[in-house]
Amino acid sequence: MFELLSFGPNGWGGQLLGGAAMTVAVSLSSFALGLVFGSLGASAKLSRNVALNALAEVYTTIVRGVPELLVIYLLFFGGGGIVMAIGRVFGYEGYIELNAFTVGVVAVGLISGAYSTEVIRGAVQAVPHGQIEAARACGMNRWLILRRILVPQTMRYALPGLGNVWQLTLKDTALISVTALAEIMRVAHVAAGSTRQPFLFYTTAAALYLVLTTVSTAAFERAERRANRGVRRA
Amino acid sequence: MHRHPPTNPNAPEAVIVDNLHKRFGPLEVLKGVSLTAREGDVITLIGSSGSGKSTLLRCINMLEVPDEGRIVIGGEAIGLKKGRGGRTIPADARQVDRLRTRLGMVFQNFNLWTHMTILENVIEAPVHVLGVPKAEAVDRARKLLDKVGILAKADSYPVQLSGGQQQRAAIARALAMQPKVMLFDEPTSALDPELVGEVLLVIRQLAEEGNTMILVTHEMGFAREVASEVVFLHQGRIEEQGPPDRVLVNPESERVRQFLSRHLSNGG
Ligand SMILES: Nc1ncnc2c1ncn2[C@@H]1O[C@H](COP(=O)(O)OP(=O)(O)O)[C@@H](O)[C@H]1O
Ligand SMILES: [Mg+2]
Repeated sequence: MFELLSFGPNGWGGQLLGGAAMTVAVSLSSFALGLVFGSLGASAKLSRNVALNALAEVYTTIVRGVPELLVIYLLFFGGGGIVMAIGRVFGYEGYIELNAFTVGVVAVGLISGAYSTEVIRGAVQAVPHGQIEAARACGMNRWLILRRILVPQTMRYALPGLGNVWQLTLKDTALISVTALAEIMRVAHVAAGSTRQPFLFYTTAAALYLVLTTVSTAAFERAERRANRGVRRA
Repeated sequence: MHRHPPTNPNAPEAVIVDNLHKRFGPLEVLKGVSLTAREGDVITLIGSSGSGKSTLLRCINMLEVPDEGRIVIGGEAIGLKKGRGGRTIPADARQVDRLRTRLGMVFQNFNLWTHMTILENVIEAPVHVLGVPKAEAVDRARKLLDKVGILAKADSYPVQLSGGQQQRAAIARALAMQPKVMLFDEPTSALDPELVGEVLLVIRQLAEEGNTMILVTHEMGFAREVASEVVFLHQGRIEEQGPPDRVLVNPESERVRQFLSRHLSNGG
């Protein structure tokens, strides 16, 4: 039975490993894109501009209120059309097909970004206002305050929450197996079908996800300890 | 008891506050305050809680933007203009940033940057705002930390220090900019009583060295010792001002008299 999981000619080992690599690639890209969306979303929510507030509110409400699988379907079936419509505005008439990787990353990135928005917003609000005032009183300009004070302090408050967002993001990538992208879930599904050993392959998939989440949780804990220097007594 | 020399009427004006008005919504907190600090002056602001002392101090370095009036720092008037909705805003944010480097602010709650060591706190603005080379900034920071008595804590984080040590670090951070004027907003009010003395000692030394300072305090005994002038604020107006031996001993105003009788136990 374990021959099926081997790297030999009849084994699925190589494909499963490739699937794991794809899952990591999609997760990292989606999480990074989510951080961009999250930073923009948090800035918009914290802005004094009412239109920006509303825009960010619409974004997080829709993404968090609609099943994640549906977000992926909408983007997969509607994404190409949207991009082509934008292309036409700029005078490009050709047919644009988005590959599954791009659609998957954008879809999971949008979901991840909605959660990151809330985490980052909360973290920014947790930064004591006095520390920003002290920076202003020293003559630091807005960019310097952002770079030297606000972002490092926000990171420290955001890391635990972002660790959770990372885990959600990693697991959400399983949903894009519906686009036939060969990540863990898709490979397990195909292997299960062709070998008629679904339990074996889904267990293996579960183990692979567990390895990924365990390793990354440890990495986040390390990062938290680093960022928390000076918060707890040494 | 040591006394600060009285104001030298020929010294250049370090800070001029002219007819300052500030409101928060419907509440007018400053109702036309004028004040001049000449070089070498130590002006102590006293008055009940809510009389506008912090707001006045915070207007001087534009942490609050006054609605009306003029602020002149070292001969340079801060440009103000009307923004959207009729609110007053700084005309040039860069001018404000530049003038702030000449004003050292010490807050009631220290406000040290908790993600940096004490040394990093002290060199931060000299390096990143003034462009002082790092080695030179570190050198100066160490001397300042030595001066306020916490050189041994240079590589600790703020949370590892007592309140008194944190406030002395905050004073060193302000001094590192070599400001023309130091602003203190109740620097000992957040401290346990046994830690007040060590901070007052540092401030007294700065006063004796001839630094120009504007200081909000409830320590009346200390005010009497270090001040060249005492200003009593009441509901956003100056009720009485003058040399400490007059305002704090024989005030003309009945309000000041009442205030002092309530704060006599606070003599430091
Ligand atoms: N940012 C603010 N928004 C609204 N009201 C404020 C603000 N800052 C101060 N005040 C009010 O202004 C008054 C004067 O405050 P403050 O200058 O802090 O007085 P003091 O320092 O003399 O105790 C108080 O009534 C206070 O509640
Ligand atoms: Mg106050």
